[in-house]
Amino acid sequence: MIMFLHQLNPTMKAVTVVILVVLLALVFDPVTPSILLFSTVLLMLVGAKVNWKRYFLYFLPFLLFSFGMFWTTLIFGKQPNSPDEVITIWTFEFPRESFIVALALALRVLSVAALSLLFIFTTNIVHFILSLIQQLKLSPRIAYGVLAGYRFLPMMKDELKIIREAYRIRGVHQATTIRGKWSQYKRYAIPLLASAIRKAERTATAMESKGFTGERNRTFLRQFTITKKDWLFLVIMLALYAAAVYTSSSLGFLKLYDGEL
Amino acid sequence: MNNWRFKEIVVLSALSVVFAVVYLAFLPLGKLLVGFFGPIGYDLIFGIWFIVSIIAAYIIRKPGAAFLSETIAAMVEVLIGNAVGPMLIISGMIQGIGAEAVFAATRYRNYSTWVLMLAGVGSAVTSFIYGYFMGGFAALGTGYVIAMFTARVISGALIAGLLGKVISDGLAKTGVLSSYALGKEVRKGKVA
Repeated sequence: MIMFLHQLNPTMKAVTVVILVVLLALVFDPVTPSILLFSTVLLMLVGAKVNWKRYFLYFLPFLLFSFGMFWTTLIFGKQPNSPDEVITIWTFEFPRESFIVALALALRVLSVAALSLLFIFTTNIVHFILSLIQQLKLSPRIAYGVLAGYRFLPMMKDELKIIREAYRIRGVHQATTIRGKWSQYKRYAIPLLASAIRKAERTATAMESKGFTGERNRTFLRQFTITKKDWLFLVIMLALYAAAVYTSSSLGFLKLYDGEL
Repeated sequence: MNNWRFKEIVVLSALSVVFAVVYLAFLPLGKLLVGFFGPIGYDLIFGIWFIVSIIAAYIIRKPGAAFLSETIAAMVEVLIGNAVGPMLIISGMIQGIGAEAVFAATRYRNYSTWVLMLAGVGSAVTSFIYGYFMGGFAALGTGYVIAMFTARVISGALIAGLLGKVISDGLAKTGVLSSYALGKEVRKGKVA
């Protein structure tokens, strides 16, 4: 059971998360997303090895976004059908209906964030791409092209350093003002892109000269399959969703997306 | 995809990787704007998140370039980890489809400035429709939603279309694009 989430097939895990997010978009009440939020975090607690400090750091921007979502929906939201029912926070009065919709949207952001972090924190990048070739029949030409491109990521930092030093040798110093910084980024952009393109071209030529054809009938060092565990995960997540919707409806909160535009 | 050279695929993904980093760098700015202005904050700078489709399509000029580059950029954002998760890949695809549709409408023949700007608008439209349903815009007032849409369309045309063209032309001048469609065109222009 331990590390359950790390052992799942990456593609199936992604599909499960996407299904859950789409299902979440169909409900407009605060109870369903909050139950899912808690159970997702709980699942991480039980089935994954997580650096919780890093997890919290990743969660922080979502909290901010969710708060922004909350107050704007409260203020710019549609006129409620029954404006007489109010709810008082501190000394401010809000219509109860708007308050609940705002809370629902804010909690939805958080529960989508928790689901996404579940995927990110338990999935190896290269495994995900290899699994996309094997399970979703992604073209190896594209997949290995992406992996090659992805390898340039750490080099970009060095490249930036080289460009900066090249400018300094010619007597162009670090900008200090905001406007100076802006024109500095403009100066860096083209050389950085140009070097990325040159590197990509060289890599592609090297791969082809060593016999990479990108055909589908290749063999793989790492094999990925879909097992019972993956289906179990999908069933668990769907059951959690069903339980959340049921709880919400028995509490009288449930509000489905009713097709209004 | 069969008429693509492998070189073009790797260059496309290298561009996508670079812009995935740029996209991530703009997320905090977007969040800051959202904190001040509400959801419309994102729409003001939304065009930056379409820019790689325009650049890739303008440089390579083959069917699929706009869609594929935006999808890969979204995927790399997820892979780096600091993003919205697998759902982002779907929104990347939807943004890519918008730009791709505009290029397809010209049968991949016309890459003038206004087509590039229209492609930015295309991404703005598809991404807004998607955001409308997934982001729960239905709960917002109609006037506010219209303002959001207008801001996103303008941002798509200017930041994605126009800035994308400027960057690509700048790159073409350095000569690294000499074996791609845009570089060839620039060279021909000089000869003529």
